[in-house]
Amino acid sequence: MKRARSSSDHDTSDGERRGLDQDAGTRESQQDLNDEDDSSHRKEIRSRYRDLISSVQQNREDMLNQHGNKLTEVLYEANTLFKEVHQAREAALDSQLLVVASDLGKEKASQLFSEGLSFDTSAFVQHTLSFMGLNWLEEEEEGGAATTNGFLPQDAWHKLASRAECCFKSTPSFHFMYGLFYAEPPPPKPRVERQRKAPTKEVQRIMPTQLKKMEASHQEATEKEVERIMGCLEHYHTQDPTAPISYYEFVINPDSFSRTVENIFHTSFLIRDGVARMYLDDDKLPCIGLVEDDAPQQEEASVRKQCVVSLSQKTWRELKDAFDITKSMIPPPNTQNE
Amino acid sequence: MTQRKSLAKRSSAALAEEDDVARFTQPTTSQVQKGLEKLLPAQLNEKTTELVQYFLIKDQKKLPVRRADIVKNVLKEYKNVYPKILERAAQTFEQVFGFEVVEMDTKNPVYILINKLEPAEGAPTRISSSNPKTGLLFVILSVVYMKGGVVREALVWNTLKKMQVDPGEKHQEFGDVKKLVTEEFVRQRYLEYTKIPHTEPIENEFRWGQRAEVEVSKLKILEFLGQLHDQDPQRWIRQYKEATKPTSANTSQPSTSSQR
Repeated sequence: MKRARSSSDHDTSDGERRGLDQDAGTRESQQDLNDEDDSSHRKEIRSRYRDLISSVQQNREDMLNQHGNKLTEVLYEANTLFKEVHQAREAALDSQLLVVASDLGKEKASQLFSEGLSFDTSAFVQHTLSFMGLNWLEEEEEGGAATTNGFLPQDAWHKLASRAECCFKSTPSFHFMYGLFYAEPPPPKPRVERQRKAPTKEVQRIMPTQLKKMEASHQEATEKEVERIMGCLEHYHTQDPTAPISYYEFVINPDSFSRTVENIFHTSFLIRDGVARMYLDDDKLPCIGLVEDDAPQQEEASVRKQCVVSLSQKTWRELKDAFDITKSMIPPPNTQNE
Repeated sequence: MTQRKSLAKRSSAALAEEDDVARFTQPTTSQVQKGLEKLLPAQLNEKTTELVQYFLIKDQKKLPVRRADIVKNVLKEYKNVYPKILERAAQTFEQVFGFEVVEMDTKNPVYILINKLEPAEGAPTRISSSNPKTGLLFVILSVVYMKGGVVREALVWNTLKKMQVDPGEKHQEFGDVKKLVTEEFVRQRYLEYTKIPHTEPIENEFRWGQRAEVEVSKLKILEFLGQLHDQDPQRWIRQYKEATKPTSANTSQPSTSSQR
């Protein structure tokens, strides 16, 4: 069976292949002689076949390019192995090797007939490597196959590339001077939510304190102002305790309507608290005076009254002219304090 | 209207095709004419410029540009005048850049850019430093070419291994060599990487890709190899014959599809 297949497979074989056929013939005659069936022995045969196959597959190119006898050696080894083959499994491996070997033979044959010089990749590699500047630190020759372990300089491939570039009609690629713009989506912003929460808390905490402060300061300012006006009134009273002080002359500030209004407002506190009193003089004009501690009867006798003082810009101007007020009796607060 | 009439006179077949506007394959000449009538020259110029830019950006990675992508990303509603715009873009490339737009794959067309200008004598070849991948590509293309146009992958890997580039290991210059060779070079159409039928375990083989066929000069490769081996490149008779034979398919016809 073996013989039939190998001879039909390789009708166009060269000398090497014919040798193989003869070998196959001898194998067959040898086959009958060995009859022992030892499983470990069979295992060993199989592993040796597999080694042979893989060595042929791995060194295929070297075997093709070198002019050594490696293929012949492999075939001889297979022949000796085959003497011990009795079963189909090992025989299958043997034929597998045969396939690999004949493929190799076919390629070798095609090299023989190719026109002109054949291309030897090993030589190509060596020439190219030396072009790339390989440093031949060591060179090992092993059974005709040269393996180089030299040192390639850093720019070796650049060097080859710059020479090889002229074979390529490739376009120079264009680049942006400022580099590429990588269109990446902006990172998501989870902090937006946090930002929104934080201020609301802050506002809630701050607002009440602010309000309190404002109220306090406002109240304080009013009290202060009332006291200041009280001081003014006392000052005029001590200057001349008998002379009545005209209410209008006292409160009107000829330069400022709003100041006048404020004065009226603050003075009303003095009246309410009972430290000052208002009365009409002989001309039925309102006057203001201090309530003296030594006149309790008078205070008791007087009936508490309420009245509203209305003042408009117009009446303020008329009063100013009527009383001929040119100077305020109550100085504006900022100048007075200093 | 007059346009239509004259066309009807010229060929009734063209008229029949004219109805088939919705389907985008290649718009007929009459469709293009009709579309052009509706466009201002400025619109046409703008689209042409956009297409030129699109090509240049795509060319940075040497990836071929698919016609489908051009239509989808650049032309959009202008797709009916596609051939005209491509023709004008090709014109711009030729006149401004000295490039040629080459169409490949008639079934599913893709385009690449080729440099038409020979490097000037004595001029610095490149402003930018050379790409080491070109060296690797040169080695592979040389081996494939010199070995008759198709080689088993094992030969390529063995050759590279001898050059201290192991496909199984990370190379400091090329990174994942196997990926670079079997994916990047293939996508760029420098190489074809196909399964060999009936192999167990599966083996692949390398051929020159379409880009290599139009972009790489076989003669120059031979000359370089001759220089490396210190021998007359003409001694590789078969390869030399192939390299010097006029390649009608690649060089003679500038293959912008619009020239019909």
